[in-house]
Amino acid sequence: MEVLGLKKVSKTYRNGTVAVQEADLRIHEGQFVSFVGPSGCGKSTIFRMSAGLSSPTSGEIEILGGTPEQARRSNSISCVFQEATLLPWVSVRDNIALPLQLRKQPRKQQLEEAERVLQLVGLQDYAKALPRELSGGMKMRVSIARALVAKPRILFMDEPFGALDEITRQTLQEELLTIWQQTERMTILFVTHNAFEAVYLSNRIMVMTPRPGRISAEIPIDIPYPRGERFREHPDFSRYVSLVNESLRH
Amino acid sequence: MSALRSGSLSRLLPPIAAFVLIVGLWQLIVSQAGIPAYLLPKPSDIVEAVGSNWRSLLGSVYTTTLETILGFLFSVIGGVLGAILLASSKMIERSIYPYAIILQTIPIVAVAPIIVIWFDAGLRSIVIIAFLIGFCPMLSNTLIGLNSTDQNLKNLFHLYNASKWQTMWKLRIPAALPYIVGGLKISCSLCVIGAIVGEYVAGVGGGQGGLGYAITYAAMRIQTPYLFACGLMASLLGIAFYQLVSFLSRKLLGSWHESELRTDID
Repeated sequence: MEVLGLKKVSKTYRNGTVAVQEADLRIHEGQFVSFVGPSGCGKSTIFRMSAGLSSPTSGEIEILGGTPEQARRSNSISCVFQEATLLPWVSVRDNIALPLQLRKQPRKQQLEEAERVLQLVGLQDYAKALPRELSGGMKMRVSIARALVAKPRILFMDEPFGALDEITRQTLQEELLTIWQQTERMTILFVTHNAFEAVYLSNRIMVMTPRPGRISAEIPIDIPYPRGERFREHPDFSRYVSLVNESLRH
Repeated sequence: MSALRSGSLSRLLPPIAAFVLIVGLWQLIVSQAGIPAYLLPKPSDIVEAVGSNWRSLLGSVYTTTLETILGFLFSVIGGVLGAILLASSKMIERSIYPYAIILQTIPIVAVAPIIVIWFDAGLRSIVIIAFLIGFCPMLSNTLIGLNSTDQNLKNLFHLYNASKWQTMWKLRIPAALPYIVGGLKISCSLCVIGAIVGEYVAGVGGGQGGLGYAITYAAMRIQTPYLFACGLMASLLGIAFYQLVSFLSRKLLGSWHESELRTDID
């Protein structure tokens, strides 16, 4: 089933910059799709337009059979931004329960759901902590937990691990894959400029080139899940990374 | 514990020493130079004036405190509610905010006589004058705070279908708290000044006058030591209000905002 379709989607900013030019794209349910490209190639613009946070200048976006606005209204999409974007004045638990609070779900249900995802991301001991008491990696785990508590059908992730150190980044990549495999047919759209990260996580990579932002190549990663830590040392991993890097240069 | 005690002692000692030194020098120089009390009273003259007039001084402090509290409360309520209204719609903000700025630029001494004509001399007029002085900083600061919410958080609330009211109540108002507290700190001191200025113009005698009225009365009768005592009380009142707001600030922001977080580094 197709969950996201872009038909000749373009975005030109007021200053005349063409951020995205005639992007065509079809994403199916349960895929893990990464958008890879250098800064300014329009990855985040595609992300924002698909999530309904900005409108395309021309073209059509269809998400879950309707408009991004309809998908948002049906609580089908969630986002994780580059920064953890937490409310600093409330606890980890209340940050995670925020989407359910806004939906006015009963408090008991909010707490149960928050507890469930807290365990999923391994932060059950930090439920009462404030965001300032957490490390960068833990804050990002809270941000992912908040996105998951809403049980989205599509999860948008805009360079979520970009500001983290390499060890934390790799740990979170593994955790994300484990969580994704536990959820039923959730589709993930992941923006990154890191070819290693894209190859490790995705089963499909869209390579983007800048000025104007275009999808220049599509690379399927035909390696089954679970991939595990050893995958990073496998010759196929290096081959795919080289392929992505080569596509980025063209 | 003893380190903590010695730490606070080392912080308190320099200002106390400076105070004792300045007051001592003041007493010594004025007595040696033979300056008459109506020109510059000695600290001991001021203490004597407080002692012999403490009943009327206490009454004046009470009246000014009441006027300040009422003016301050109205400023806070009016400023915060006004800012929420302006922040809820760009059109309302563009229509009304320029007039709020105009209100801020009109000298209060020019408006005060009109207020007295409309509302008569006494508590009501003085509270309105204090309110007018304290209102603008509350409105401006709160509005800046409400308009400074992190864009990613606003996007997040939008994605999770938050209503306008939910976004205001759960995001914009809490995020604006540091700015609101900044407004409170400015406004509380200004309201003390507003109440005293109000008493100059709209103060009533008969034992019901506040510090502003007492200052005017003492100046007319050249009771300079009492005038100094009144000024000192007004200053103490301002400090007390500021400390109260600072306490509130620590309670509201102490757990999460940089401005009130205690660090190990001085």
